Amino acid sequence: MAQTISPPMVDTAAALDVELRDVIKAFGEDIAVQGLNLKIRQGEFFSILGPSGCGKTTTLRMIAGFETLTSGELTIQGKSMNGIPAHRRSVNTVFQSYALFNHMSVWDNVAFGLKIRKIPKSDLRQRVGEALTLVQMESFAKRYPNQLSGGQRQRVALARALVNRPAVMLLDEPLGALDLKLRKQMQVELSNLHQRLGITFIMVTHDQEEALSLSDRIAVMKDGRIEQVGSPNEIYEHPATAFVADFIGDTNLLSGQFLAAETCPLLATESGLQVSLPPTDHNDITDIDVSIRPEKIHLSTQTDAKKPANHNNCYPGEVKHILYTGPHIHCIIELATGEQLRVLQPNHMRYQPGESVYVSWAAVDCQVLVAHNPPS
Amino acid sequence: MPRRLSRSSLLSRTSRRHFLQGSAATMAVMGLSNCRRTIGETEPEPADSSTASAEASGALHIYTWADYTDDELAAQFTEATGIDVKIDVYDSNETMLAKMQAGGGANYSLIYPSDYMVTEMIGLDMLAKLDKSRLIGLDKIREKWKSPVYDPENSHSIPYSWGTTGLLYNSEILTTPPTDWNYLWDNSDVLSRKMTLLDDVRETMGAVLSSLGYSYNATDPTELEEAYQKLLDLKPNLASFKSFGWQDELLSGDLLLSMVYSVEGIPVSLENPTFKYVIPESGSSVWTDTMVIPTSAPNVDAAYEWINFNLQPKVSQETVERLFFATPNGEAMTMLSQELLDNKNLFPPEDLLAKCEGIAPVGEANALYDEYWTKVTSA
Amino acid sequence: MKNSGFDRIKAEQKPKKLLALVVNWLQAIFDLIWRWLSNLARPIGLLGPAGIWLLLLMVLPMLLITELSLVPGLKPGQPIAGYGLLNYLRILEPTYLQVLQRSATFATGTTLLCLLLGFPVAYWLALMAPKRWRNLLLVLFILPLWTSSLLRTYAWITLLRSSGVINLVLGALGLPTQSLMNTPWAVYIGMTYSFLPYMVLILYASLERLDLKLLEAAADLGANPQIAFWRVTVPQTLPGIAAGCLLVFVTSLGDFVVPTLLGGPSSMTISRLIYNQFLGVARNWGFGSALSMVLILMVSLAIALLLKYGDRNPEIYS
Repeated sequence: MAQTISPPMVDTAAALDVELRDVIKAFGEDIAVQGLNLKIRQGEFFSILGPSGCGKTTTLRMIAGFETLTSGELTIQGKSMNGIPAHRRSVNTVFQSYALFNHMSVWDNVAFGLKIRKIPKSDLRQRVGEALTLVQMESFAKRYPNQLSGGQRQRVALARALVNRPAVMLLDEPLGALDLKLRKQMQVELSNLHQRLGITFIMVTHDQEEALSLSDRIAVMKDGRIEQVGSPNEIYEHPATAFVADFIGDTNLLSGQFLAAETCPLLATESGLQVSLPPTDHNDITDIDVSIRPEKIHLSTQTDAKKPANHNNCYPGEVKHILYTGPHIHCIIELATGEQLRVLQPNHMRYQPGESVYVSWAAVDCQVLVAHNPPS
Repeated sequence: MPRRLSRSSLLSRTSRRHFLQGSAATMAVMGLSNCRRTIGETEPEPADSSTASAEASGALHIYTWADYTDDELAAQFTEATGIDVKIDVYDSNETMLAKMQAGGGANYSLIYPSDYMVTEMIGLDMLAKLDKSRLIGLDKIREKWKSPVYDPENSHSIPYSWGTTGLLYNSEILTTPPTDWNYLWDNSDVLSRKMTLLDDVRETMGAVLSSLGYSYNATDPTELEEAYQKLLDLKPNLASFKSFGWQDELLSGDLLLSMVYSVEGIPVSLENPTFKYVIPESGSSVWTDTMVIPTSAPNVDAAYEWINFNLQPKVSQETVERLFFATPNGEAMTMLSQELLDNKNLFPPEDLLAKCEGIAPVGEANALYDEYWTKVTSA
Repeated sequence: MKNSGFDRIKAEQKPKKLLALVVNWLQAIFDLIWRWLSNLARPIGLLGPAGIWLLLLMVLPMLLITELSLVPGLKPGQPIAGYGLLNYLRILEPTYLQVLQRSATFATGTTLLCLLLGFPVAYWLALMAPKRWRNLLLVLFILPLWTSSLLRTYAWITLLRSSGVINLVLGALGLPTQSLMNTPWAVYIGMTYSFLPYMVLILYASLERLDLKLLEAAADLGANPQIAFWRVTVPQTLPGIAAGCLLVFVTSLGDFVVPTLLGGPSSMTISRLIYNQFLGVARNWGFGSALSMVLILMVSLAIALLLKYGDRNPEIYS
């Protein structure tokens, strides 16, 4: 079911740059996008996040004009894009493979869109120069794409799109082909660009960390549907579905029955574990998933048996694995009832496999998710 | 056989096409194998060709035109003499010459060059002088071929077949039939863009020379200049110079008149009475194909046997009736069916035949002919 | 006598040492040569056969022709009298220049026609035809190549002649008839038809590798389909275009069957002229060789020109 979960502050008066209403896209028998509804605000950095094949790229291509809508409506800045081909939309795309014209120099690539619109020579020169400076590629103007590295090409692709001052910038997994270091660097640059220019950015990615760090809002997609739309904080702290919870960051998922009790609701797992849940209005649910983020779980050893006061969930367990990730260590703790929980710990802590520990967390940190039983 | 053509079989035309395309390769091979200071100075090297060596088995290897021999003739010969016959074919004298010069013809004991080629090969010392005492039936050859201009006294060659060049025309549309070359000039309005001449410099220039009263083998530059100008006059009314490929247009009526070789014109006229073949009165060209024994022949005895076999009137008559070419064998002629004999095209009357010339080499004038021809076909 | 034994041994050993020295020295040399040969062996092994082929069938004949072309009026069977440039100077006469010009015109015209007709077909085949049918359609288009080109030219006679098929159809439709047979136009038609499949094949190969994302990028940047075609598709397929043009130009330069069968009385081409020199009445091998060298020159010029366009900035293509 498409869930449009609005952020806490709904500003209906805010200008919408891109709007999709009940958009369906089918390739023959294969339905790539089903009944999509999306409202993207002017000037925001909006990400569409999801695993491969979830329909995010198709959605982007429909906004760009490379795919037609099977049904539904797409409007950009209030104008319906029905029947308007790609070359007449005020939208520019940065492709995943950059798609630079390798028979033209960097300068000519960037100037391409302006030349087509017959921008006068002096203006053109100035704007192209500006665009190249913006992405720090001024000294490469005479080079050809094949003489550039991946990161350099990506910047040229950005400049080529930006120079046209589009209303909306579309980025299709722009950092996918770069190595980690470069990617992190480019993420910062992208963010800076967005802030400087104030254009609406719509980015498609499967890298959730990237989406979280760059976006104002994120739409998480799965199988052609939107699972959740919200700010990074919301998506992370309050995932709407098990999929979102699992896809974004690490999480611990426990499933079981919902028990409404006097003091507080409970989750009762099959294995006999009982977890205190935060108060909720929905008392008619039965099968639920509970998501607890690893960093919310506190670990106490026998010797240091301290736990924060509000952690009403406290269970004994045994250290199974310790994974060193650099800034943290991930401890896999097995509870007496058999569940394995992932706990985040500072990297100076030392634990031994087999050590007996206590795990604890606050009830309020339990995110209750309605268990989905998708029709088979 | 005329210069470059064989009979009407399409196959030989295709192979001619391949020859035309392959002449570059031939030239290369020729050049390489003759890689000495003087080009063309060869001793036919004994090449080991793929065919089995002739002497050992006593077989006779013949290199000839496609339509001169058939299996029946070979079978008759083998029956009569016990010698096996192996036949290879070519479709132009130049191809044959090239092969012989390159050494690829070392197996052949008998070849069939045309008149002008005989003169050339004699000059190249490639033909063996015939021992007349070994030949039977030479006296049966008609007068005209007893001592032809291309090989006096037939010292190196025996005439085998002959033909003429003439005009094939649509008698239904051309109610006044052509009788001479000048018909083309006199009736150019009717014939405009509907007539073709042979794509052969000696034949066409020769025809024009004949129409001016000169010899086919003229060498006088003034005469040639005159012929060139006259041909230029006719040119705007010509559809094309075509030695082959005129049939479609002639038969459909898009062409009214074509200059053709007798071997192609006569069959058409026999199949379709609308079309008539005529030899111009002022004289046309007559070509002769001969049998010769190359100096490199491995089986000279068998070669003589073959020549004698073919000189037999009976054999000659039967072959003519089957393969349909004109024979110079006088006695054989008397044995032919009246129908064939009556065919004035196949066997024109003596007086007309006397006016027909064989095309002979013109020595230095060749360059002039070629230059005029280039001008005519290019301007 | 005291050292006789030693002396004897030494005396015996001296030549042995000398021998050993010589042997060592020889071994060193052989080793060097062997290593040098081994280093050459692989390239020779790989290039050898082709190299010998080229040497025997291209280089040597070309050298031979070059030599012959410098002998004025050389006839087969004659010894070489002297050298001179007469053959080449003769080519400069208007008669022969006209022949060259005609061949060049036929070839250029055919190339352009093939390009104009072939590009849309190749474009449709590579980018628009349904994928399932693509191979079949390609085969169908190439099919005429499997028949003899002579037969195809004959077929054109049947089509083009005044009472031929084309005029029958035109007449039935009430349209004016054509009389292209035995004119230069018929030559263009015949040659274009013969070589179009080659052009289509080469262009198809080039267009198939066209990165469609580039066309999307062009559209994204505001280029309508026409602009995208001229600014992206054509430059990207320029190597293919050059290769196709080269092939058609060179082959049509050497074709003389089509001009003979379909052209009118003025259809002498350079290849026919060369043929006449070698195998016609002229028997002027010197002149024929000079003409051949000029033909080779024309072909080389075409290759150089088109390669320049086809290989522009090679480092810019990945």
